[in-house]
Amino acid sequence: MRRSNNGLWWPGVTLFLALLLGPAGPAAAASPELRLSPNQVDIGTFFEGAAVKIEGTMPAGTTAVVEVVGSEATEHLLRKGRRGGLWMSVGEIQVHHAPSLYMLLSSAAKIPEFTGAATPWGFAALAKQVTFSGSLQPQEEDKFFQEFMGLKQGERLYRVMPDALHTSAPQKGQVAFQGMLPLPAKVPPGQYKVRLAVVGQGRMLAHQDAVLTVKMVGFPATLSNLARQQGLLYGLVAVLIAIITGFIMGFLFKGKTAH
Amino acid sequence: MWNLYLPIAGTSINIVLLFGLGGAVGFLSGLFGVGGGFLMTPLLLMVGIPSTVAAASDSNQIVAASTSGSYAHWRMGNVDFKMGFLLLIGGVIGGTFGVQIIKVLRAMGNADFVIKITYVLMLGIVGFYMFMESLQALRKKGVIEAKKVEAEPGRPSIYVRMIQALPWQMRFEKSGVTLSVLLPLILGVLVGILAAIMGVGGGFIMVPVMVYMLRMPMHVVVGTSLFQILFTCINVTVMQSVTNHNVDLVLAVILLVGSTLGAQIGAKISQRLHADQLKILLASIVLLVMVQILVSLILSPAHLLAYKGGH
Repeated sequence: MRRSNNGLWWPGVTLFLALLLGPAGPAAAASPELRLSPNQVDIGTFFEGAAVKIEGTMPAGTTAVVEVVGSEATEHLLRKGRRGGLWMSVGEIQVHHAPSLYMLLSSAAKIPEFTGAATPWGFAALAKQVTFSGSLQPQEEDKFFQEFMGLKQGERLYRVMPDALHTSAPQKGQVAFQGMLPLPAKVPPGQYKVRLAVVGQGRMLAHQDAVLTVKMVGFPATLSNLARQQGLLYGLVAVLIAIITGFIMGFLFKGKTAH
Repeated sequence: MWNLYLPIAGTSINIVLLFGLGGAVGFLSGLFGVGGGFLMTPLLLMVGIPSTVAAASDSNQIVAASTSGSYAHWRMGNVDFKMGFLLLIGGVIGGTFGVQIIKVLRAMGNADFVIKITYVLMLGIVGFYMFMESLQALRKKGVIEAKKVEAEPGRPSIYVRMIQALPWQMRFEKSGVTLSVLLPLILGVLVGILAAIMGVGGGFIMVPVMVYMLRMPMHVVVGTSLFQILFTCINVTVMQSVTNHNVDLVLAVILLVGSTLGAQIGAKISQRLHADQLKILLASIVLLVMVQILVSLILSPAHLLAYKGGH
């Protein structure tokens, strides 16, 4: 009877210990964590860009890569060239499948790359995704890809930031990391895919996804909706405000000017 | 701090900077009777506003500045409504033609070349002619003598004989000139075409046209030009809002508060300056803008790609 009780008791203890120690085991170590704070950025009246805190955990000895990607769209651009010795627009180029925003942050001083396979992030990966049409020759695509990158980087909408994620000392085989994602004032409203990739031994060991929402709120949202949905009313209101202001100013300065 | 989000431009900008830009351009508007679009749009581009939004919002703020200016000049009896309406009718017809010309040129791939060359040539010709003419007048027998020359309705030149030979002569009391109805209509059409090609209100072309070709006195030119610009810009603002949705009301309101204040100060200062001094100042600004455009055409650009938008 007693032996029989002992036989029931030991497997229970083993299961309890397994559950207790489980999170520190190798299976859990491969599952990284990713948190965004805030996970929604509101564009209000005084918006001048925002910083989103990125934090999470990953197994010790690995590198974190966080990729933030906006929705794809076709951009209509003008290419500049020389006509009669003068620089001017000489044709239109459409850029397809370019994300509205592309940011890459890493915990390493150098953005990690895969060994023996194409690295799925960085500007080199974007070069394979982005296509061109319009007034350019196929052999000019590389040149205009670089120009496009330059244009976007100038607006701070495309950025590669090595060493932007800071790591803490390992604890129980896990390393915490954190960094700031700098969203410029020009960030378009929309949903952004945020992917944490844990890299080790030249390959991706695990990944975790999150969504960052950028939303226009309050007065800017009301005005933007009115401009897009009620164009005529918006135009008339704009003219009316301008005329009233002009008259008020004219009235305030009445008698003070005599041109 | 002091930054405001512009919902249509999709970016944030310093309020003080915008107010300052509006004030400076409004000051010139009140001083010379030009809309200031040829100055404001490039300035807005320089501070990071997308070109289409800059041009459309600028036209909205010009509505305020020209309302304020027209009102001030109307009170002083400086608006020739008859002449203004004829130029306006011509301007609308010319503008419609100009838009069609641009469409054809765009299809042929030469639009930008024509726009840039027209810009440089017009600014160069207008600026140089005004500058030289005003300089000569100032060098003559001083202020009083120069005023007499300006007020003269016309000298017996070929041009004067030609315009006197045109049919439907009409007396324009306010301007003190007798001209054929056809002349302001034709000149309005020509300015309208050029303005549409260049994407500007055309004030900086209209002012010299009124002074030199319609022989109007400078103080009536300023008031009448502002009156005409007011209607042109109301039309552009409404059309841009309906078709392209790119009028940024926040941007326009800050600019217009600055520009209406600046316009009043400009109008006040202008009364202390002589017509030729005003003309030489405007000519200098026009020439500076021309040089700036010319330099941008000659020097290699930082990027070989630019966002498609207005000019």
